[in-house]
Amino acid sequence: MPDPYDLIVIGGGPGGYVGAIRAAQLGLRVALVEREKVGGTCLHIGCIPTKAMLHTAELLEHLKDPRELGLSVDSVAVDLLAVQRRKARVVDQLHKGVQSLMRKNKIDVFIGEGRFLSTTKIGAALADGSETELTGKHLLVATGSAPRTVPGIAFDHTRIIDSTDALNLEAVPRSIAILGAGPVGVEFASLFRAFGSEVTVIELLPTLVPLEDEEIGQALERGFSRRGIKVLTQATAKSAEVASNRVKITVGRGDQLSALEAEYLLVAVGRAPVTDGLAVAEAGVSLEKGAVKVDGQFRTTAANIYAIGDVLTGQAPFRLAHVASDEAIAAVETIAGQRTHTPNYDTVPRPTFCIPQVATVGLSERQAKERGRDVKVGRFSFQANSKATIEGSREGLVKVVTDAKIGELLGIHMIGPGVTELLAEGVAAKYLEATVAELGMAVHSHPTLSEALKEAALDAMGRVIHM
Amino acid sequence: MPVDVTLPQLGESTYEGTIGKWLKHPGDRIERFEPLVEIITDKVNVEMPAPYGGVLSAILIPEGQTVPVGTPIAVMETPEMAAERPAAGMPSTGTGVDIPQDRSRSPEAERLRLSPVVRKLADEHGLPLEEVARLPGSGAGGRVTKEDVLKYVETRHATGPGAPAVAAPRATPAPPGLHPGDQLVKLTPLRRSIAQRMAQSKREIPHAYGVIEVDMTALVRWRDAHKEEWRGREGVNITYTAFFVRAAVEALRAFPLVNSSWSEDGIIMRQAVNTGIGIALDDGLIVAVIKQADRKPLVEIARELEALGRRAREGTLTLDEVQGGTFTITNPGVFGSIWSMPIIVPGQAAMLVTDAIVKRPVARDDAIVLREIMHLGLSFDHRIFDGAVADRFLTHIRQKLESAPGGDAAPNDF
Repeated sequence: MPDPYDLIVIGGGPGGYVGAIRAAQLGLRVALVEREKVGGTCLHIGCIPTKAMLHTAELLEHLKDPRELGLSVDSVAVDLLAVQRRKARVVDQLHKGVQSLMRKNKIDVFIGEGRFLSTTKIGAALADGSETELTGKHLLVATGSAPRTVPGIAFDHTRIIDSTDALNLEAVPRSIAILGAGPVGVEFASLFRAFGSEVTVIELLPTLVPLEDEEIGQALERGFSRRGIKVLTQATAKSAEVASNRVKITVGRGDQLSALEAEYLLVAVGRAPVTDGLAVAEAGVSLEKGAVKVDGQFRTTAANIYAIGDVLTGQAPFRLAHVASDEAIAAVETIAGQRTHTPNYDTVPRPTFCIPQVATVGLSERQAKERGRDVKVGRFSFQANSKATIEGSREGLVKVVTDAKIGELLGIHMIGPGVTELLAEGVAAKYLEATVAELGMAVHSHPTLSEALKEAALDAMGRVIHM
Repeated sequence: MPVDVTLPQLGESTYEGTIGKWLKHPGDRIERFEPLVEIITDKVNVEMPAPYGGVLSAILIPEGQTVPVGTPIAVMETPEMAAERPAAGMPSTGTGVDIPQDRSRSPEAERLRLSPVVRKLADEHGLPLEEVARLPGSGAGGRVTKEDVLKYVETRHATGPGAPAVAAPRATPAPPGLHPGDQLVKLTPLRRSIAQRMAQSKREIPHAYGVIEVDMTALVRWRDAHKEEWRGREGVNITYTAFFVRAAVEALRAFPLVNSSWSEDGIIMRQAVNTGIGIALDDGLIVAVIKQADRKPLVEIARELEALGRRAREGTLTLDEVQGGTFTITNPGVFGSIWSMPIIVPGQAAMLVTDAIVKRPVARDDAIVLREIMHLGLSFDHRIFDGAVADRFLTHIRQKLESAPGGDAAPNDF
């Protein structure tokens, strides 16, 4: 019987593998059980491949009028298979990177389906058909989530598809309907529209990216309309039927029903925790509405078992790759008795790589007011920003929501060029508990997009310069 | 890397200290526990021993300056560290930054690691930054976060300063409006400490009171007849207070509940009987403690009382002499008070008060006679015990005082 591991991580996504590395750094002996490939959903069928394809889509958008840029190009056309190949290369390169990190940190990786045998034992059905049994003093459940659908609509993965299917289409759809205007829905809408599809977005709530500040959702809707994306808000798909390679969708909007036809229906209504096959009951781990139940320290109902990331979907806010990583670090540091921090969801960045990009952190104006805060809002439009003009991307704005009395930064909401990168400054400012004064007074490089963030802060102080 | 020497916590309610005299100078080699610096607090003057052995490389706080507990006051190099760096006092090689000197130059408040939002909040709620910096921080590396300050403000609102959740709270910060001609007298550390402790006690402890009359005639006569003789023989003035202490500790042995402390988990019965005595000073009051008073005869108690009183007035009490009290006696009778209701020292169950001994007409055997009468009172924590215990406790003391042996008995016979 080999020595037990100090920690067995189940699931090798950005939560699990990052937790495994941090645990190894702290001197724990770590095993990682992953059913497909290390890197998980994020690296193989999520964040990375979508953004690889969206990079091409953004370039295409910039090259719509090459002559205006002083370029003489015969024609710019999309070769989807070539885009797919590039995506695969990017993923492969990063996958090799994660694998080498596992080796570097001496983490034993078992590729196979893991399941609980007891509170300390994991059975792993390995890819070669054999079965192995691992013993660990502590376990970390990091099994993530999978796309879910809504009642009345079932995936056939051919015409009614999820995000994974959408990544692997061999030809650009002539038309696609997308149900759900959260991050996944609007990113695919942007991607397919840039590649030439007719895109219709169906969203139940009144604005696109409905969890974000309303102004951002409204601005995105204008950006979508400008690009020819049809947006149906306060609407939902009641049913969908596949007939002769087309999907007939019944759209309900209030009391009215209407028919919509497209080559594909992409269902992007959210994700559900993955616990099937895990046999959590064997370990005394309780679920709540499908999610693994944890306390403030990510401890499950079994004292030595922890859970982080998307498998907590529905129980903790902002199920994002970087949130899973942060939670994993907190959890393994707790296990090692060296906890350094408690995840603070108020400072979690929320980037959405649609076109135009959306990037936010903290409270929306409405949320801040609902919490009883006396707020002061500052805004700055990219129309008045020199770098945005240089880049030919003048749409969008930066909005800062601040506490009227002490100037605390409550939320930063951006839509426009490069904002997913700009967001980092807002996150640092919020993490360091800066007030609007620090953001507004710090010298920002000229000419850069970041000046828009400074100016929005100055606007909240009533002293914007360039507007 | 140099090691910071910080101002230690000297006593339960101490939150700041004044640097008295530096006993070592930069460059001096110091053994561990060798006296390093004299610290003056609201209660005591102590010589602080060096926490490490090594070389004193810099003094950060000059003599006479008052700083909060936990403030770095000096920098030392421990031997293994000193080897890696140029010894203090040597010319800089120009490669490294002289951290200690840099530190001593930077203004106190600037050095505190507080975020802009925290500083603004402190301002908003009138909290001194030094006080905020002392809060237990929940942020990365122990940084005090916005949440920490908000929680602190909440506890202050809920329980006021002195709440046990925080390190060293202060008394109410906002000064009342000054009218023309009014003068604002700055709080001395002692005044501030008393204010905080008294307010805390009245806020947290449900005080109840009992008072009985004691006929001191026999004791007064006995003492008056012999006090000069006793002074000659024992070399000490045997005061009434000594008799009160003696009578009280016997009663405490009989009623251990009075020698206890309230906690949410239960009543802590104190094993030791350490009796604190309130001593009036020019600018306040200090409680000195007679340790194990129940094991000491009257003369020894009188001797300790005299010594403690003298040292309290000289300001030379040691930390040990003001800590660890389990019960307190106050004697406002010396100032003529005939009926007092004292505030219990936080962490104790009761305080005994002895008022002035006054000749009064009283009924004895259906006749009116003049007797030496004293009110003997007890303030007690009604969470711990009830009036019946208080009155029986007082009665126990009364019987002891009223049965003074008299005649030629020695004081230790009491």
